[in-house]
Amino acid sequence: MKWTLLVVAAALALVASVVLGPAAVPLGELLHSDIVWNLRVPRALLAFLVGGSLGVAGAGLQALVRNPLADPFLLGLSGGAGLGAVLAIALHLSGPWALPIAAFVGALAALALVYRLGLIGGAALDPRILLLGGVAVGAFAAAITTAIVSLADAVELRNAFLWLWGGLSSASWDAVLVVALYAPIPLAVLYAASRPLDLLALGEEPAGYLGADVAAVKRRVYLAASLLTAAAVAVSGVIGFVGLVVPHIARLTWGHRHRVLLPAAFIGGGALLTFADTLARTVVAPRELPVGVVTALIGVPVFAMLLRRWTIA
Amino acid sequence: MQRRLFLALIVLTACGSPARRPAGPPPPARRIVSLLPSFTEILFDIGAGDRIVGRTTWCDYPPAALAVPSVGDGMPPNIEAVAARRPDLVVLYNSGPNVTAARQLERIGIRTVLLDLNRLEDLGPATRTLGRLAGLEQRADSLARVMDGFTSSHPPPPPSSTVAFVVWDNPPIIIGRGSYLDELATLAGARNVFHDVAAPSSQVSLETIAARDPQWIAVLSDSAETPAFARRREWRAVRAVRERHFLLLRGSLFGRPGPRSGQAVLELRALLVRNDLVGAQHAAPLHEAPRR
Repeated sequence: MKWTLLVVAAALALVASVVLGPAAVPLGELLHSDIVWNLRVPRALLAFLVGGSLGVAGAGLQALVRNPLADPFLLGLSGGAGLGAVLAIALHLSGPWALPIAAFVGALAALALVYRLGLIGGAALDPRILLLGGVAVGAFAAAITTAIVSLADAVELRNAFLWLWGGLSSASWDAVLVVALYAPIPLAVLYAASRPLDLLALGEEPAGYLGADVAAVKRRVYLAASLLTAAAVAVSGVIGFVGLVVPHIARLTWGHRHRVLLPAAFIGGGALLTFADTLARTVVAPRELPVGVVTALIGVPVFAMLLRRWTIA
Repeated sequence: MQRRLFLALIVLTACGSPARRPAGPPPPARRIVSLLPSFTEILFDIGAGDRIVGRTTWCDYPPAALAVPSVGDGMPPNIEAVAARRPDLVVLYNSGPNVTAARQLERIGIRTVLLDLNRLEDLGPATRTLGRLAGLEQRADSLARVMDGFTSSHPPPPPSSTVAFVVWDNPPIIIGRGSYLDELATLAGARNVFHDVAAPSSQVSLETIAARDPQWIAVLSDSAETPAFARRREWRAVRAVRERHFLLLRGSLFGRPGPRSGQAVLELRALLVRNDLVGAQHAAPLHEAPRR
C-alpha cells in the first residue's frame, strides 16, 4: 500500500511536470511540441534523477555519520562546487559545459580534502572529524568564493550566486544522459552497502562483531554519496532540504532497513523535486521561483507532521 | 515639474544636518565624488567634469573620466576611500546600502545626495538636481530638456519586432517593465516580450522564453561573440537562439540611462531595421556575417 502510494505519487509528479508549464501547450500537441520534448521532458527526468540521488546520498550519509542533521551538502561539497563555478566565471572559461564541469571539479576537490582530513584519525573515517572537516572546508571555500566575487571586476560573478542557489534551468537531454549513465554506479554501491549500513546503526564496534568490515564500508559509503552529490550540484546547483528531509520521511514510513529505505528515498526524493520544480515553474508564471524555496516549503511541513505523529505514537 | 523640484529640495534639506549649516543655499560644490557612471556622464555633460575628484571603477565615459581617481566599485561605497578625496558633495544612487553609506558620510560632515535613476523619466530631475548643486543650473536645464524629450517629444514608432533582454542564462533572468531597457526597446520600435513583468528583472523558465518567441535576444555584452549559452542544447528550443538572432549591446552605452540614451535608442533602432531588412533577404542577420 505504501509502495503503491509512493509510485503513484512519483508517476503523477512526472506526468504533471510534462503536462503543466508556463507555456500553454494543448494536450493534443503534447507529443509534437518542441517545448515539451526538448525542455519539459528532460527537465522532469533530470529533476527526478537529481532528487532521487540527493535522497539516497542523504540517507547514506545520515547512517554513516549517525547524525540526523546530516545533509549531502553538509560535508563541504556545496562550498567546493561554488568555488569551482566562480573560478570558471572569473577566469572567463567559456564553452557550454564550463560551469558544470568546474563545479564538479570543485566539489571533488572539497571531497578529497574532507576525505583526507577524515583519515587523520586512522583509516576508520571518524564521523565527528568528517562532519567538522566538511563544515570547515565548506566555510573556507565559501570565504575564498566571496573574496573573489568582491575583488574581481566581472559583473557576472554576482550571478554565480544565483546559479549556486540551485535550479534545473540548464536541463537538457545531454545533462539527463550524463546523469543517467553516471548516477547508477554510486547508487549501486550504496545499495550494496545496505546490510552493513543497518549494522552500523548499532554502533561501529557491534557492527564489526557482526561481520561488517566497518572501515571499508564507511569509505565506500562516503565516496559514493559524495560522488552522487557532486554530480547533482554540477547539473543543478545546491538544492536544499531534499537530501535532509526525504531520508527522514522514508525512515519514519518504511523503517530503518536500508534495503527498503534507499529505494524509497530515491523515488520519494525524485517525486518531491519533480513536483517542487513543476510548482516553481508554474505558480508565479511567467516568473519562476528558485526550486530550493519550493522544496523547503513542501518538505518541511510534511516532515513536521510526520515527526509529530511519530513522537506521539 | 515645480512640485518635483520642491520635493527634491525637501529631500535635500532633509539629508543635511541643518544645525551645522548657515542659512541660505549652500555654495556650489567644488569637489564632487560621483558613485554611479550615469551621474559621472551627466556631470561631465553639464560642464562639472573638472570638479569630479572621485568616481567608481565602472565610470568609463567620457574618456576624460578615466583620469579621475577611482574610489572602488561603489557597491557598497568604501566610506574612507570616498572621504579621503575630501569631497564637498557625494552623489549616490538611491538604494539600501547607499542610504547607509550616505548617513555615514553625513556624520563626518560631507554633504550627500541620493538620486533615483531607474527610468528614463528620472534623468531630467536628476540632472536638474545635479545642476543646482554644482551651480550650473542653465546647462543642466538644457540637458534635462533634451533628456525629457527621450520619453515625451516624439511618440515611439509602432513596434515592428519583438525582443527579450537576457541578462543571465542559468537560471534565465530577463528584463521586465521596471527597467529602462524596456523603455529603450519601446522607443527603438521593438516590443519587450516580458513587458508584463512589472519588476526590473526576473527569473523565468526557459520554456516561457521559447513560448513568447521573441525575434531577437538582446544581451549586454562588450564582446562581439555570441554568448556561450547559445551553444547549450536546451537554449536551442528558443527560435531566436537557433537562428542566431542576437543583438549584442555594448554595456557602456546600453547598460545605463544617461545623456547618451538618445544615441542608444537610435543605435538599437538602426540595428533592428538593418537586421530586419537583411533578415528578410537572406534570413541571416548582418552583424553575424563577419564572424562566419
